[in-house]
Amino acid sequence: MRAQLAAELLKLRSTRTTAGLLASMLGLVVTAVVLHGYGLSATRLETPSDQLTFLVGWGEVLGAIFAGLAGAISFTGEVRHGTIRPTLLATPRRGRVVAAKCLAGALAGLVFGVVATSVAAVTGRITLAVRGFDVALDGGDYVLFIGGGAAAGALWAVIGVGVGAIVRNQVPTIVGLLAWLLFVEGVLGDNAPGLGRFAPGALGQSLSGLQPDTLLAPALGGLLLAVYATSAVAAGTVATVRRDVE
Amino acid sequence: MATVIGREPGAPGAATPAPDGAPIATVNHLTKRFGDLVAVDDVTFSLRRGTVTGFIGPNGAGKTTTLRMLLGLAEPTAGEALIFDRRYAALDEPARRVGAVLESNDFHPARSGRDHLRVLALAAEMPASRVDEALDLVALGPAARSPVKKYSLGMRQRLGLAAALLGEPDLLILDEPANGLDPVGVRWLRQYLRAFAQGGGTVLVSSHVLAEIAQTVDRVVIINRGRVIADAALDELAGRGQTLEDAYIELTEGAAS
Repeated sequence: MRAQLAAELLKLRSTRTTAGLLASMLGLVVTAVVLHGYGLSATRLETPSDQLTFLVGWGEVLGAIFAGLAGAISFTGEVRHGTIRPTLLATPRRGRVVAAKCLAGALAGLVFGVVATSVAAVTGRITLAVRGFDVALDGGDYVLFIGGGAAAGALWAVIGVGVGAIVRNQVPTIVGLLAWLLFVEGVLGDNAPGLGRFAPGALGQSLSGLQPDTLLAPALGGLLLAVYATSAVAAGTVATVRRDVE
Repeated sequence: MATVIGREPGAPGAATPAPDGAPIATVNHLTKRFGDLVAVDDVTFSLRRGTVTGFIGPNGAGKTTTLRMLLGLAEPTAGEALIFDRRYAALDEPARRVGAVLESNDFHPARSGRDHLRVLALAAEMPASRVDEALDLVALGPAARSPVKKYSLGMRQRLGLAAALLGEPDLLILDEPANGLDPVGVRWLRQYLRAFAQGGGTVLVSSHVLAEIAQTVDRVVIINRGRVIADAALDELAGRGQTLEDAYIELTEGAAS
């Protein structure tokens, strides 16, 4: 298992895919925080909750999305390029391959989450300062925000691996993940918030302390997100073990 | 790029000193159905130590599906495919027993050939030194540090072969390995496979290029429409006054009509 983990980590490092995802994520985080920092009125940026949810929260949201994509691509990329065959010839015990991808993905996702939330926090502070607004967030808020972002990134990467292992085809996997996070959950949150807060994207946000009046408490949200991640991996493992490889 | 491939072929790993002619892999009544299509139909043959067996047949005959089942990538509908008396997935160190190439392009285009091998060496717990040894063996040269997307088909074949040889296996299973190799590469491959078998290794090589196979193999297993229609030593075919091509055409057309 240690051998497979080392192999998976080298896979992540030996192409530019991971670094490219990280760079795209950073660009979007800075853009989103700056645009909202300038676009929103002063009354929307007063309380700690508002600053977390409407300004720096983009760090968590984008960190989770890109962590999920990185996790998914670690599986679907192998299917797309055919490396799944040499991978499974080297490690025919397929459950080990999926488990190693989850661990490597979780580590990468954790980095994505930390980087995205940290950069969002700094960008948010600068934007508020430039506009002459007070920063309402204290150290505890930031610890929860960045720590929760790290956990959400790790869990979302694992969800990505699981979904990728179930769907296998890269484009539908990516489109599906993005459509869910950017569209379906938005519709759910707007129209059925009682249900929407149990959706996995919202659970990731709850981990970082976003929308504290609507979403679940961070600990409960994290626990439920871990249940989602475990279920996705369990299903992905069964699918990988049972199905033939082309 | 006209690179002369390689050093002298190396001897295969000598983990199991089985006697010559002992069965290394056995395929028993192997069947694979995809819905109504019977891709592989009750296929039986075995691979004997120290021999090169050619696995030939028209496109779509079931060659690759058989190899996938032998390597644990596909589950048989019926029958079994055993290597060293076990299913591939049950081998303790499969990459040290079996080296296989199924497709000529199973690489990430942005990953270097060397990193591709490093990944596999890590996964199979082989010493990192094997990576450069395998690269030397196929003479990939400085290109090994370039991304695979810059490789010609022949270079990809050599990289695939390097991956198969990484674990110094006893058994090589190669699907169309000569595809895309230049004449020098084809000749090198032929000599390599012969030397590999003489050193006690076993080879199963699929091809549809009969002329190439005829000069390389000891035995042929001919498959058509999922069924084995011949399993014979080349000598036996020659004894009947037939070239491999004669036998192949007669058998595949006979089976088709």
